[in-house]
Amino acid sequence: MLEKYDVAIIGGGSAGLAALKQLSTLGKQAILFESGNKIGAKNISGGILYSKKPKKGKVYNVEDIYENFLQDAPFERKITKYILHATSKDKVFSIDLTAAHEYEANFGCSVLMNKLNQWFSQQAGEAAQKHGGGIVTGVHVSSIRWEDGRTIIQTDELEEIEVKAIIAADGVNSEVAYMTGARQKFSPSELYQGVKVVAKLPEEIINQRFSIGQDEGAAHLFAGDVTLNHIGGGFLYTNRDTLSLGAVYHLDSLLETPNEPYELVNTLLKNPMISEFVKDEVPVRGEIDKDAAKEEQMRIRFAVTKMIKTWSELRDNYYSKKGKERLIKEGKYGSPEEIGTQLSSLRDQMSTKYGIKFETDYVEVEYSAKLVPDGKRCRMEKPYFRNILFVGDAAGRGIFVGPRIEGLNVGIDDAVRAANTVARALDKGDFTEKYLGEYYSQSIEESPYTHDLKAIDKDYLKIFLDAAKEVPKDIISSKYGLVVKMMSSDTLRSFAVGFANILGYEKLLPIIETVDTYVKVPTELAERLGKSISASYTPTLPSIAQRVAKLKFNDDSISHIKVLKPTSEFMKKMVTLCPTRCYLMEEEGVMIQHEGCIECGTCSEETDWKHPRGEKGINYQYG
Amino acid sequence: MDSINTAVIVKLEPDFSEGNVSYNPDGTLNRAETKNILGPHSAIAVSAAFYAKVKYGAKISIGTMGPPMAESMLQQAQLMSNADELCLFSDRIFAGADTLATAEVLKAGVQKMQGKMDVVFSGHRASDGETGQTGPQTAWKLGMTFLGHVIDYEINLESRTIRAKRLVRMQGVYDVVEEVEAPLPVFIAIDPSYKPRFNTVSQRLAYEKYQKEANERAQNFKQYLKVFNAIQIEADPKLIGISGSPTIVYKVERIPKGKAARQAEIIDGSNQEQIRKVVVRLRQSLSTAVIK
Repeated sequence: MLEKYDVAIIGGGSAGLAALKQLSTLGKQAILFESGNKIGAKNISGGILYSKKPKKGKVYNVEDIYENFLQDAPFERKITKYILHATSKDKVFSIDLTAAHEYEANFGCSVLMNKLNQWFSQQAGEAAQKHGGGIVTGVHVSSIRWEDGRTIIQTDELEEIEVKAIIAADGVNSEVAYMTGARQKFSPSELYQGVKVVAKLPEEIINQRFSIGQDEGAAHLFAGDVTLNHIGGGFLYTNRDTLSLGAVYHLDSLLETPNEPYELVNTLLKNPMISEFVKDEVPVRGEIDKDAAKEEQMRIRFAVTKMIKTWSELRDNYYSKKGKERLIKEGKYGSPEEIGTQLSSLRDQMSTKYGIKFETDYVEVEYSAKLVPDGKRCRMEKPYFRNILFVGDAAGRGIFVGPRIEGLNVGIDDAVRAANTVARALDKGDFTEKYLGEYYSQSIEESPYTHDLKAIDKDYLKIFLDAAKEVPKDIISSKYGLVVKMMSSDTLRSFAVGFANILGYEKLLPIIETVDTYVKVPTELAERLGKSISASYTPTLPSIAQRVAKLKFNDDSISHIKVLKPTSEFMKKMVTLCPTRCYLMEEEGVMIQHEGCIECGTCSEETDWKHPRGEKGINYQYG
Repeated sequence: MDSINTAVIVKLEPDFSEGNVSYNPDGTLNRAETKNILGPHSAIAVSAAFYAKVKYGAKISIGTMGPPMAESMLQQAQLMSNADELCLFSDRIFAGADTLATAEVLKAGVQKMQGKMDVVFSGHRASDGETGQTGPQTAWKLGMTFLGHVIDYEINLESRTIRAKRLVRMQGVYDVVEEVEAPLPVFIAIDPSYKPRFNTVSQRLAYEKYQKEANERAQNFKQYLKVFNAIQIEADPKLIGISGSPTIVYKVERIPKGKAARQAEIIDGSNQEQIRKVVVRLRQSLSTAVIK
């Protein structure tokens, strides 16, 4: 006897969880399958989560789904500063885009997906339980089939189940899409590859360094020579007590002239402005006397480890408002000054007793990568197949227009629309493509986000141009001199945008998204107008081996990726483009060693690509 | 169809993990300084009972003989299993008990638990006693069928029978899995290799639900806790504590560690030269190890 459930949601990211929460709110039974050993294990975002208020139409925001989001959710910081930097060597020219960031927005907050998705899952899971549903982790869906009018889901771990409808929220490398043939794999021209590192930095040092208050946050974007001639850019977002720093470039641009993804991040880190942003005080162990007795050497090593740990924990608390309050409340210290005194006395002891030195350096805690679907180019025209609805990354939906970077909010909006559609079908008992898919498709079309994926918003453009009005027009090559002239004039702008939108993104993108826009113009701008910045130190950059070693994996004995054409040009480039260097060039072609695979999907175009089985694979701690 | 009542008997044991264990200068265990926890084998028995809760909605009672501080271990066990009842059998008279006298207390204790037990679980052995006798002796005293080395089990609620898989290790030859069937009630000593498997969606959902409930219960574990002394469990004074113990531990001797016969060379570092050194050493060792 098959177990039966009304709805299955495949994928426990922010979109899948929002679908579960919404269905439960509507009183429907739904179960969510997540292949990671816990929710959030495989989720990566830049990331900023927006809540929007479009002038026309309605979007479903995170706080509509989780009413207590602003009070209780563990998001990092509300972003209150949004700045674009054009770089050339040590020179930086900055444009304040805070107004563009705030355009039609209730708020935009920095997030770390591991923590946030776990909070979402508590809310959604609790709600789902009331209706006989819930979240099942460590389970990988391996196939979906239709048999005598029944929809049957097979997993690698559990017995089969029967459902009435499915919401596919399994990300950019959607296996549901591939196994059902609902869409082709996204091509490199439709994708960005994002690589990110999370760096540790105490909370109040972040406040000071980025000139932000306790409840504020900063976002910095980078274009120019730091892109190494690729189309895309770098970003740096402040979290509560970490920084997210990443590089996002068009995959076809990377395929043309491959650079190692970690080198792209390293290039950002070596930029003097960024070096200065991420720097921290780091204890460096002294040499242990090799002639001392083995036991004594061991004792010193353990003592030093313990001392560094104690010092670093106390320091984190000292530079955090809540941390200080907690230590005082627990009665461990009388005042913040007392904590400060203890901290410096510890520091003295470390250097006098054990010869620990304190140096300025950079502290990286996590390296990660993900593919990002460029919604302008790859959103699914028909985001459904039979009784399956696709949402978020799985449906190829994300808004990336110049400095406007939105993905999470789009996925959440999709998820609510999908959940509403499924609830309607459950009420009617009709799960046909017509009643389910077409209705969903229509709902998605009505979303202001879909509109933004198709056309340029002239008001947004005006804000952008106002912010950039100090940019000398002659820098912008003759290529779009006329366009700029038209755009800068209020009367001509509507006409120009209107004309551009008639052409459509398809014709427009090859003109806008070019090396000129992302590299040449910013570089020239920085050279001519930029301020020179010098770094006070050179950050020690971890090697890729060290980065991979720091990640947590649960290796699968079965390889989840099979190379199909070991000698193809594409696969040869993967040797360079795989973020964790999983590919090796051998005599007979490219070989994969899947240990260390972080499941980004960069190689999926020409491989037989699946996610690992339940609980296996990468297990991110920050996300 | 009625579900089943299960009991788990557990033991408070020293935490032998690094950073928690302390030794006296003479090398014996410093019990005062060492943290005590739910013994690792006991924890496996608890997880086996939780399997019955998830799968059959079983009621779980957890019992232990130990000092008052053992209550925090019962809390730990409740967190793992969402136990419905926690019983601590604690009395100075119990001190000095050997396995037989302990089994007497546990038998009397189990009989004081709520409901008539269908399955009683114990660990395979304790990490600080290593006798493996307390479980079987308690089974015998309770008059229950004993199944040892159990690695998997299914219960038929209708026929009130259990089907269990036992791992039988033929020392140094091979292992066999024996499948046995028995009418309830039974006493199960769970094998260390036991791992509960939940292979349907409904079981996974039940698992999540009970886990969450367990978190809430364990926060207020005292509401579920009952403490019994010797009189309250109505144990025969002649059969418990020192007077009920036919054996006493006369002396504990430490087995001296043999001197390592291996010759170790530590090559520290990560540069090319040092790695080359390691390779050269490996090659030398391998060439001498080849069977001629």
